[in-house]
Amino acid sequence: MDLGIILAYAPSLLAGLVYTLQLSLITALPALLLAALLAWIRLRGRQPLLQLLARGYTDLILGLPLLVLIYVLFFILPEYGLTLSSPLVGVTALTLYYGPYLAQVLRAAFAAIPPGQFEACSALGMSRWQSFRHVALAQALPVALPPATGLFIGLLKDSALLSVVSVEEFMYAAKQAISESYAPLEIYLAVALSYWLVTLAIDAAAGAWERRLTRHRIH
Amino acid sequence: MLEQMLKILPELGPGLLVTLELTLAAALLSFSVGHLIWWLRQHQAWLPSRLGSLYISLMRGTPSIVQLFLVFFSLPLLGLGGKPLLAAVLALGLNSAAYTAEILRGSYRNLASGQTEASLALGLSHLQCWRHVLAPQALRSSLPALVNEFTLIVKTTPLASVIAVTELTYAGQLIIARTYEAGPVMLPVVAGYLLVCWPILLLARRLEGRFATARNA
Repeated sequence: MDLGIILAYAPSLLAGLVYTLQLSLITALPALLLAALLAWIRLRGRQPLLQLLARGYTDLILGLPLLVLIYVLFFILPEYGLTLSSPLVGVTALTLYYGPYLAQVLRAAFAAIPPGQFEACSALGMSRWQSFRHVALAQALPVALPPATGLFIGLLKDSALLSVVSVEEFMYAAKQAISESYAPLEIYLAVALSYWLVTLAIDAAAGAWERRLTRHRIH
Repeated sequence: MLEQMLKILPELGPGLLVTLELTLAAALLSFSVGHLIWWLRQHQAWLPSRLGSLYISLMRGTPSIVQLFLVFFSLPLLGLGGKPLLAAVLALGLNSAAYTAEILRGSYRNLASGQTEASLALGLSHLQCWRHVLAPQALRSSLPALVNEFTLIVKTTPLASVIAVTELTYAGQLIIARTYEAGPVMLPVVAGYLLVCWPILLLARRLEGRFATARNA
């Protein structure tokens, strides 16, 4: 064990970690939009065809490994004339993969709200947006937050798989460092520790947010 | 394209078999180590319960692929170098064990604590109470989640391709490296995973439905 190696490669590893954080945060937005769309179709959608498509797509993702999805986007799309850059493959794969999982979380959180509340809202003269924002979202957000945090941590960890298609994130930086230093154990230990600290920080932040959202509750 | 696919299928068969072997071995490891971690985690004493929590936190807080490489590069230190399949089974199984422990914790927590007290008052030992009273109930109610966890193991097995275990994904990649055509190979690979995962997912949904009705009745 030579811990000096970690210090020698610290700058390039840190750059990779920053890239991983950026990529995960950027991906969270389209994933949330896709999830909201899927959850809306399952809860409120009236077209049977749309329902069928949403269900089929969800089942496809539930049975498909993320690594295989990455390979499909990276190797097959170019054969049909659509070549995405590596980072774009990454964002697309993670969005397509995490959308349905997040949709399940959103669906469960919103389905728990009794429909009578929406009738009460319209009886009180609230607009659809007002009843969504102040009644539905206010109740669903604290319910959805813990599992959604778990999924975001999953997304961040799974972004490490993108190193196989040369996205220059944390894991890729680690591989580069290892190919120069031949010290896999030292570097992978440092990488694992860094991921762990980041996920602990995300967990703590989400916990604080959840306590804030539920501060009105009497325990 | 169809003709090419039919020619490739026999080559992918052994890969699918390795995927299944890897999944089963990792699931067995996950189930047994998961119990051990759950037992540590629920222990009254400070050290075992801290150790259990730390294991779960570390396994859930780091990417599986990093864990896989750590195991792969650590095994030679134990004189077990050059065994990628063993590394994959260990990494996938030990990772999944953390999730199994959490599933078990949830099920046991939902059991009324009066049952343990009643068992002990009736003269059952702690082991007998666990074996005859708590375990049958907790295992039943955790079954749907455990079956779901099984499909997640299936979906993690392609990671083994990065350390050259010839499972389904790597078997496909080897063919692509030879033919330079991804389409006719990736399609059967995708179908292979769906073929394995879908029946298990269906089983999990059935079980969930059954337990939901049992609770409501």
